[in-house]
Amino acid sequence: MRALTGSRLADGEAVFWNAGRWVERFAQAELFDDVAAAEAAEADAKAQLTIVVDPYLIDVVESGEGWVPLSYRERVRALGPTNHPQHGKQAEGGADIEALAQASGAARSTGRLSLIKRK
Amino acid sequence: MYRYDAIDKDFVADRAAEFREQVARRMAGEITEDQFKPIRLMNGLYLQLHAYMLRIAIPYGTLNSAKLRRLAHIARTYDKGYGHFTTRTNLQLHWIKLKDAPQILDELAEVGMHAMQTSGNCIRNVTADPYAGAAADELDDPRVWAELIRQWSTVHPEFSFLPRKFKIAVTAAAKDRTALRIYDIGLHLRHGREGEPGFEVRVGGGLGRTPHLSPTIREFLPARHLLSYLEAILRVYNRHGRRDNIWKARIKILVASLGAEEFARQVEEEWAKSNPARIDAPEAEVARIRASFAAQLETLPPRSEAVEALMAADPSFARFVKHNTHPHKQPGYAIVDVSLKVPGQTPGDMTDVQMETAADLAERYSQDEIRVNYTQNLILPHVKLDDLPEVWRALDAAGLATPNIDLVSDIIACPGLDYCALANARAIPVAQHIAERFADPARAEAVGELKIKISGCINACGHHHVGHIGILGVDKKGEEFYQITLGGSGEDDAALGSMLGPALPANKVAEAVEQMVEVYLRQRKEGERFLDTFRRTGVAPFKEAVYADAH
Repeated sequence: MRALTGSRLADGEAVFWNAGRWVERFAQAELFDDVAAAEAAEADAKAQLTIVVDPYLIDVVESGEGWVPLSYRERVRALGPTNHPQHGKQAEGGADIEALAQASGAARSTGRLSLIKRK
Repeated sequence: MYRYDAIDKDFVADRAAEFREQVARRMAGEITEDQFKPIRLMNGLYLQLHAYMLRIAIPYGTLNSAKLRRLAHIARTYDKGYGHFTTRTNLQLHWIKLKDAPQILDELAEVGMHAMQTSGNCIRNVTADPYAGAAADELDDPRVWAELIRQWSTVHPEFSFLPRKFKIAVTAAAKDRTALRIYDIGLHLRHGREGEPGFEVRVGGGLGRTPHLSPTIREFLPARHLLSYLEAILRVYNRHGRRDNIWKARIKILVASLGAEEFARQVEEEWAKSNPARIDAPEAEVARIRASFAAQLETLPPRSEAVEALMAADPSFARFVKHNTHPHKQPGYAIVDVSLKVPGQTPGDMTDVQMETAADLAERYSQDEIRVNYTQNLILPHVKLDDLPEVWRALDAAGLATPNIDLVSDIIACPGLDYCALANARAIPVAQHIAERFADPARAEAVGELKIKISGCINACGHHHVGHIGILGVDKKGEEFYQITLGGSGEDDAALGSMLGPALPANKVAEAVEQMVEVYLRQRKEGERFLDTFRRTGVAPFKEAVYADAH
């Protein structure tokens, strides 16, 4: 399963794709089980030059509480810095944030599928 | 401190206005991200994990109260009320919005600050001895030469597109406090036979994937020829540096592959072809710069009864004086180190309120000067001994008086994977966990000097190669792991650390440090620091302690 993410141009916020819109919380991200659909969304996202910077697909995996990004780096992006729990998306709390915070294992330093492929 | 003239002011203001226009064009879709990225990087604006990061230049780590107050204002208004001082003595703000960046640059320009040359393949912010103008062991004020280099190197057309980034450090004291040997160029001022000033010139230091300590390419360069000789070095590098391979593009690789002697020969040849009179700064200009750094110091008794009395009465103050003050060249003054290393908190972070406190203290008690040390601490360089109790109370109330300079909890850590787009692993939580174990000041004091340096990736912003204990975060089979090195130093006894053994999982690192400290405490001889004991015993006892469970 995959999700599409990027950084919002105006403020650098980590955002996730959902049916042509960008949402801030990973829990609201559209999940793709179809590779072609994911790549089509990525192509659409790359055309949104004034909205998002450098969109890319990431792997997501099922954890006990639901779907989470496979990569530790992507979980940090979806939560905020671990040294300041009051900063970033994690500050808002909620069951989805808790699930991301609890996820562990199988972390890759980069969640970028394209980079992983290149290796 | 050095003050901008009208040309400097206009230039910095123009540059901010130009960036405002470039941001507007990017937001409107008139230029692509690929076109915009080099422009924003030239203005210190990076895109990281959670937001944009603005790296603000603090030339040779020198600030005054107006500048620090402005940084506090920007941190409060446009960020989340804090900033992060780095090993390059710059300030990073980690929650910046692109749409605010032009306004921030305007506000910086108003106080003579900017973010130029904090990124890109140019000559970066020059580093100088953080105790400059105050150190008892100083031969000259290195900021005079650092400022000269700053003026010469700022948007220098020939050196704006070097093979790779380029960093210069200057020191003019007996003791090196800049980590001189890990710089692309390290300049160490000495006096010649006739008493004339000159530099020992080292070239080709650097950390990262291939760490090197710089060799000397010239024992004595008359100081008046500094700029023409630097130009000769940069020209040789610009011509022969490896532009084809980013991992081999730093000057350290060129110097290592040619050999220091051959590199030096080529530089001398280039220098001989040049016309130094065209490039070297006129004496009058050096004198003008020098005058701007002169502190107005009073003649005072060398001993303060107020300090002696409070030291006798309050062990906390005595501990602060022991670890956080250093001898000043002028009797009756002290250099005060302001610790940004409260155990359990983020190394190098400072809140807007703390910045304002430090600015107030500098204005009132330290000739309006504040310094940033590459160790991610600040310095009040000119405090009268009689004012020390008052300064300590104010620092203590603001959480800035942790008495741990150069001790085990005075840890260097890069932002790591909590913020940085390049990192493989987190560095800050590792530092927090280690420091918490040594939070008791008496215990930290008993361990003595121990420099722990942590990087979240091989780029080594946390200087791990030259830590007495160096810690490098790596991605190993998809988890955060940490490689430990021992025996490094960035100072006069510079050395690169050697590997302890297999990388450790995150939850074992603080424990391993504690185990190694225990080995040191058991094995140390009278007067030995951790580093001395390690160099005498070798790695074996430390390795055995950390990996005993695995046997």
